[in-house]
Amino acid sequence: MFKNEEMEINLGPQHPSTHGVLRVKLRLDGETVVSCKPVIGYLHRGVEKICENKSYFQGQVWTDRMDYVASISNNLGWAEGVEKLFGIEVPRRAKYIRTLLTEQNRLASHLLWLATHALDIGAMTVFLYAFREREYLLDLFESFCGARLTTTAFRIGGLREDLPPGFIKQAQVFQDRFLDCVDEYETLLTENRIWKKRTIGVARLNAEDCIALGVTGPVLRAAGVPYDIRKAFPYAAYGEMAFEVPTRTEADTYARYLVRLAEMRQSHRIIQQCLEGLPEGPVMAKIPKILKSEVNEVYHPIEAPKGELGYYFVGEKGGTMPYRMHVRAPSFVNLQALPKMVEGRLLADVIAAIGTLDVVLGEIDR
Amino acid sequence: MPSQAIPMTLTQTLTMGLIQILAVLIAVFIMVPLLTFAERKVIGYMQVRLGATRLAGGHVGITGPMNRAMWAMGKVPMLSLLRGLPIFIADALKLITKEDIIPAKADRGVFTLAPIISVMAAFGVFAAVAYFPGTLFVFPKGFPIVGGLPFQGFITDVNVGLLFILGLASVGVYGIVLGAWASNSKYPLLGSLRSAAQIISYEVPLTLSLLVPVLLSGSLNFKDMAVALATGQGLSPLAIIPLFIGFFIYLTCGFAETNRVPFDLAEAETELVAGFHTEYSGMKFGFFYLAEYANMIVVSALATAFFLGGHFLLPFGLQRFVPASAPFIGQPSFLFFFLKVCLILFAFLWVRATLPRYRYDQLMDVGWKWLIPLTLVNLFVAALIRFAF
Amino acid sequence: MSEPNTPEVPPAEAPSGPYRYDLAASPQRQIVLPKTAPVPSLATYKAEVLAQAAADEAKWQKQLADFEVAKAKAEAEGKDAPKAPVRAVPRKDDNDLKTPWPVEAVDPDLLSLQGLLGDRAEEIFQQAGELVCQVKKEAILEALELCRDEGDLRYEMLADECATHYPAGKDFTFSVVYHLTSISRQKRLRLRILIPEGFAPASACEIYPSANWMEREIYDMLGIRFTGHPDMTRILCPEDWEGYPLRKEYPTVGWGQRDIDFREDRGGVLNRIAMTTAGQLGINLKQPKAD
Repeated sequence: MFKNEEMEINLGPQHPSTHGVLRVKLRLDGETVVSCKPVIGYLHRGVEKICENKSYFQGQVWTDRMDYVASISNNLGWAEGVEKLFGIEVPRRAKYIRTLLTEQNRLASHLLWLATHALDIGAMTVFLYAFREREYLLDLFESFCGARLTTTAFRIGGLREDLPPGFIKQAQVFQDRFLDCVDEYETLLTENRIWKKRTIGVARLNAEDCIALGVTGPVLRAAGVPYDIRKAFPYAAYGEMAFEVPTRTEADTYARYLVRLAEMRQSHRIIQQCLEGLPEGPVMAKIPKILKSEVNEVYHPIEAPKGELGYYFVGEKGGTMPYRMHVRAPSFVNLQALPKMVEGRLLADVIAAIGTLDVVLGEIDR
Repeated sequence: MPSQAIPMTLTQTLTMGLIQILAVLIAVFIMVPLLTFAERKVIGYMQVRLGATRLAGGHVGITGPMNRAMWAMGKVPMLSLLRGLPIFIADALKLITKEDIIPAKADRGVFTLAPIISVMAAFGVFAAVAYFPGTLFVFPKGFPIVGGLPFQGFITDVNVGLLFILGLASVGVYGIVLGAWASNSKYPLLGSLRSAAQIISYEVPLTLSLLVPVLLSGSLNFKDMAVALATGQGLSPLAIIPLFIGFFIYLTCGFAETNRVPFDLAEAETELVAGFHTEYSGMKFGFFYLAEYANMIVVSALATAFFLGGHFLLPFGLQRFVPASAPFIGQPSFLFFFLKVCLILFAFLWVRATLPRYRYDQLMDVGWKWLIPLTLVNLFVAALIRFAF
Repeated sequence: MSEPNTPEVPPAEAPSGPYRYDLAASPQRQIVLPKTAPVPSLATYKAEVLAQAAADEAKWQKQLADFEVAKAKAEAEGKDAPKAPVRAVPRKDDNDLKTPWPVEAVDPDLLSLQGLLGDRAEEIFQQAGELVCQVKKEAILEALELCRDEGDLRYEMLADECATHYPAGKDFTFSVVYHLTSISRQKRLRLRILIPEGFAPASACEIYPSANWMEREIYDMLGIRFTGHPDMTRILCPEDWEGYPLRKEYPTVGWGQRDIDFREDRGGVLNRIAMTTAGQLGINLKQPKAD
């Protein structure tokens, strides 16, 4: 009469904590996860196909729509990838401004991650505290490029405009208070017993598994591998910046939380260096109105907030549009690790694991 | 007891009972929306946002001209402090007028019954809670039917009030479990299992912690207990230790019993969408909502009555240091009771804005491995103090 | 996978629905297939450069010869000698473009990889600072394994795997590229195979588990099946999707709105909307005649 049965449950695609339209097929034995299978593609728009039919200048607009939380990082990847394809050297001032904005965007992305991750675990107030600071950053982006989220901040060869008047002053205002804000988040979470209980030892993924599964970014660094593309393969002006790559060895959710907080402090440091050492000069290289490529292929990786973001371009002779464009999206690759993180654990840990991977579905599905 | 001291006819008894019940019901129906409003505002201020701002106190609408005039006179309009207050009317209207959806595969009867059980259990408890252990006022002589009768601060003065309350409160979980089961859906099922396990586990330390004041005062009656515990008659000053510990254990279990943060696993919205009431809509959901907030008020009222000295100013036997002849603070007052209830309700909101949520197994750990042993030790200490000192 | 590796043929005709397409009337549906297969390669580049140089030289020789003839003719006729030809210097564009051409491989990694692979390595070169090694399509697994395990290579991570469709390729239709990263040595390497239509390369999942989803994406987008893959199913598109979107013959304009239940469409409102939208998209929709 009575029999044990595993329950299959669909977490998503419409679910409060799957950060978009992620669907996770779970088999549960009580509350224990027996198997976990992410199902993606609900936000697939065919960005790669679209970009094959847009010019090198137009395609950048589509990159905003992938990782919409860190669109400036995506813009940077596209712009630098195309510049690598054509061999364009960007003026030093433009590089600095790019670095500045990309780091601010990293802050915005990490703040959003912190906000939603804490909310997923039930800590509600951090959400609004983090959004307060993110709002300021978005206002800065708006003053620079007129858009808060879908920025299309850069141009091939540099920037369209220099920084607007007052930008540096406003950015400095943010700089002056941001570290205190990070401390404020820490007072709510870092030593919170429940937060520690919910995160320590949860969703562990050791360094070997991370590397085998291609997981990059803070998740890899929380496993003790100091791999940061900004250091390993410097791009933009990162070669001239002094910063550290924070690592932890626990490889769990709490370690990733600490790594991301430390990264916010390092980003703050990089922004400060950019603001102080901003060189004078032009912001745009001389490039023709129409870019016509040669037969060429490049792969340009950058360190997006979520991990390695790679742009792969194939150019054809005389082509104004990429023959092939491929995005190596960090969230896409990182999400592969989800089953390994949660199988055999509890349902609530699945939520923590999705949060700690920091996935953005716009980027996974493209 | 005063209600039995005055002889009453059957009509008078029934009418008086009805009036008392209506008064409490209306009070609760006012308290619950006020509580939701307070929740919006308090958590809003804690989270650097405004909370509800529409309706009242703005520059437009019915009260707009008045507010504008007050601003023009250089004064802050009174209503601007209460901006968003009438939203509870909008909330209630919304819940009442919303389409009431019953899922096709749900068990219709049980699905309808569940919120009723929940709300009945929550409201029934109020019958035995004494807000004020005496007469609040006497109806004037000329009043029809009830003229000359006293209006009490409680509906019935049950001498085993505690047992009644605990018994009825544990009925509430049936509402959750039945509702979730009848929804025939997976998330509610998980939520209800969590809720059942949670409420059953936490009922033990809750009851055990409530035994401390019972043991110390030697009574199950609200009135006697409040007097004994607040004034500490015949109690050692050491009694404050088990009472204090018992209070915090009780509060923790109260959070769990009412499914509030950090024990809101049954409806953990980031895990189970909305937990046991995922499939509910309209006023059926409204009943669950009402029951949750009514339960909060009950828990706060019990905490006040049992641990915080009830309607006396000071708890834990400290009232003895206040001379009974002192004006106002020396005498029991309904105001003290109300303020203490508000204080605990504020703690509910405060915790909600601060703490994350426990995981299921950790919740069980806290309940079984920490709270139950602690309450047992506490009870032992209380017994020791009661009989050894 | 026990299934035979027959590639699924993309649908050549419009799906049967309430609408049929007039392909000639909708310019956006005209698919222009690329005429060239832009696979960067040192050999091709060298051949092109040599051919260009030879053509330049031939042109110059012809100019010289023409000048000699003209000079002789002018001398014979007693006229002034014509101007001596000036060799055309390629015009230098006034911009900052420095196209990164393929260059000879000098990196020790590439050289040692070539040494290890022997004739299984088809070509090695460097371009834009990136190391490229093209290997034989049957030998990709061995190459990947060498890259991961060999002591002086140690490319621990497969950062990316993707494919490109070359309908104009001579003896290949797709290229599959593997971007390897060595975290310990901070280097990157690109392996490339060129495969014809219908060829099923070996899956890299055994060596690099991260290839799992990437290969599923390649299958989903381009229809390349990998042998030995644990779960060769579509990942981004729905399971019943027709065709492979990233192939060059796949149109960028859709098949229009097909899911309207016209029984519910009282007054033809939805129908009108569908027709208008189709018109804006450049799709010429014709409603089927009543049978």
